[in-house]
Amino acid sequence: MAITDKDFEQLRDFIYNLCGMYFHTTKKYFLESRLTRRMEVTGSKTAMEYYSLLKSSRGGEELRFLLDEVTTNETYFFRSVPQLNAVESKFLPEIVESKGKMGFRKLRIWSAGSSSGEEAYTLAMMLLEKRATIMKDWIIEIIGTDINETVLAQAREGVYNAYSVRNVPDLYKRKYFKEDAGKFILSPEVKKFVTFNKLNLYEDNKMVFMKSFDFIFCANVLIYFDLASKSKVVQHFYNNLQPYGYFFVGQSESLHGVNDKFKTVHFPGGFGYKK
Amino acid sequence: MTTETTMEIARQMVASIDDLPTIPAVATQVMQLLDAPDVDVDKVADLMLSDQVMTARVMKMVNSPIYKPSQEITSLKRALVYLGIRHIKEMALTSSFINAFEDNSGAMDISTFWEHSFGVGMVSKVIAEKIRYADIEKAYLAGIIHDIGEVVLSNYHTETFAKVIKTIQEHPVKLIDTELEVFGTTHTEIGFCMAEKWNFPEAYREVILFHHEPRAATADPVLCSIVNLADLFCSVRELYYGGNAWASFNLSEEVGWKILKEQSPNLAHLDVERFCYELDDAVPQVRELVTSIFSKQ
Repeated sequence: MAITDKDFEQLRDFIYNLCGMYFHTTKKYFLESRLTRRMEVTGSKTAMEYYSLLKSSRGGEELRFLLDEVTTNETYFFRSVPQLNAVESKFLPEIVESKGKMGFRKLRIWSAGSSSGEEAYTLAMMLLEKRATIMKDWIIEIIGTDINETVLAQAREGVYNAYSVRNVPDLYKRKYFKEDAGKFILSPEVKKFVTFNKLNLYEDNKMVFMKSFDFIFCANVLIYFDLASKSKVVQHFYNNLQPYGYFFVGQSESLHGVNDKFKTVHFPGGFGYKK
Repeated sequence: MTTETTMEIARQMVASIDDLPTIPAVATQVMQLLDAPDVDVDKVADLMLSDQVMTARVMKMVNSPIYKPSQEITSLKRALVYLGIRHIKEMALTSSFINAFEDNSGAMDISTFWEHSFGVGMVSKVIAEKIRYADIEKAYLAGIIHDIGEVVLSNYHTETFAKVIKTIQEHPVKLIDTELEVFGTTHTEIGFCMAEKWNFPEAYREVILFHHEPRAATADPVLCSIVNLADLFCSVRELYYGGNAWASFNLSEEVGWKILKEQSPNLAHLDVERFCYELDDAVPQVRELVTSIFSKQ
């Protein structure tokens, strides 16, 4: 079902203000198709009728369904290419240089809300490729956390379908995956750098132990939280980063109004946050 | 940093060009007419119609997504009424600039150059609105002309400049630093010397010279900062000369940002994230505008 530009803008603003997720104009078609499904389920006849539902007292629950709908299939290897490029060409060399000078050769990365592990493993592969150069003799620790045991088990297993690996460059695919009956099995060489733990981001007493990260990634998680929880979790991320560390959210997410300590750092195709 | 030496090299470079483009007489006359206290739209229309290229350009621009007419505008007179006098001024000037620099034999693809220029113009306009700068159109124009010196390097020092472009694409270095190393001067000084020849008002000359160092500006540091930031934001979108893989900036550390916040403290509360996403949305519009301007139909 096509929605008018005006309806699209209204829905976009509503979702942005509530969740901090922005729908680019180029994503109108995508939002339309996902909305259509939710409208069918809820029996809304027009986009505005659905919008009224979102604003109603039952809106919170429906919004979660809509967010699930728009973020589903969002987990795959090499998802946020602009982020990865910026880390690889700019932020990682910068951190490696300053830490190296202090004689501190250990890099810690946290993939918060790691789901089935694609993001954490993507980072591991990227760093492995630098084993001969800037990451030589470095200790690499990548930690993936999620609240859901099922996805954690999948992550630990490291077996993926063709959809998950569709963005993996050929070089990486040949080097780090073994294909078997349509499944892609991740090499132990990559897996050994990543550990997966169960963690609820709301649990303050556990969050305080996630210390000294150089990079934290948290995509498509905070959009589900209300402002107070968001602020609290983001403050934990801030505290858990090294003084020069970087924090990245999903590619259309925004932390505006959530935390005023992080500084925006802009790079080709996106932005991140610096402590 | 601009020094006497860099300025002298730029001056000689510009002086040695025999066929430096001129800004058409019609543009200057239109500007004068529009500056008069009681503007006669018919007179402006007549004058513009005497320059067919300008008329065609203005018609293409007014019908582009940036100006969003609800239905196609087919006459210049209607365009003038729809846009209002201020917009016509920016269009007349823009159109003349494009005329002066549409030669595509330089090292840089001319539509890439204009995509960056219009991009910076558009973002300058948005920033100017956000900080309630007194003259939005001035910010737009200043954005459009800020890199005019690049055209001289691209068109008159083609081979060397092609190497400069290649260098910035392959190595993490800045365009302006590479220019300084290779030419002993940069596009900012060269552009400034051209603007002097064309008798541009001081504020515009200053933007051209100081858009990389807004603190050095004296006439209108706010305008320089607007263009400085617009330039930065475009450098991390697909509105830059052949990409800029190493570009990155920390907004809170930028001098231009600091100057604008001193001027307009509410800027500290700007939703920078949304601002960026909206800029992403505007990129295709800028490209469409440039494509339509250069299309032969």
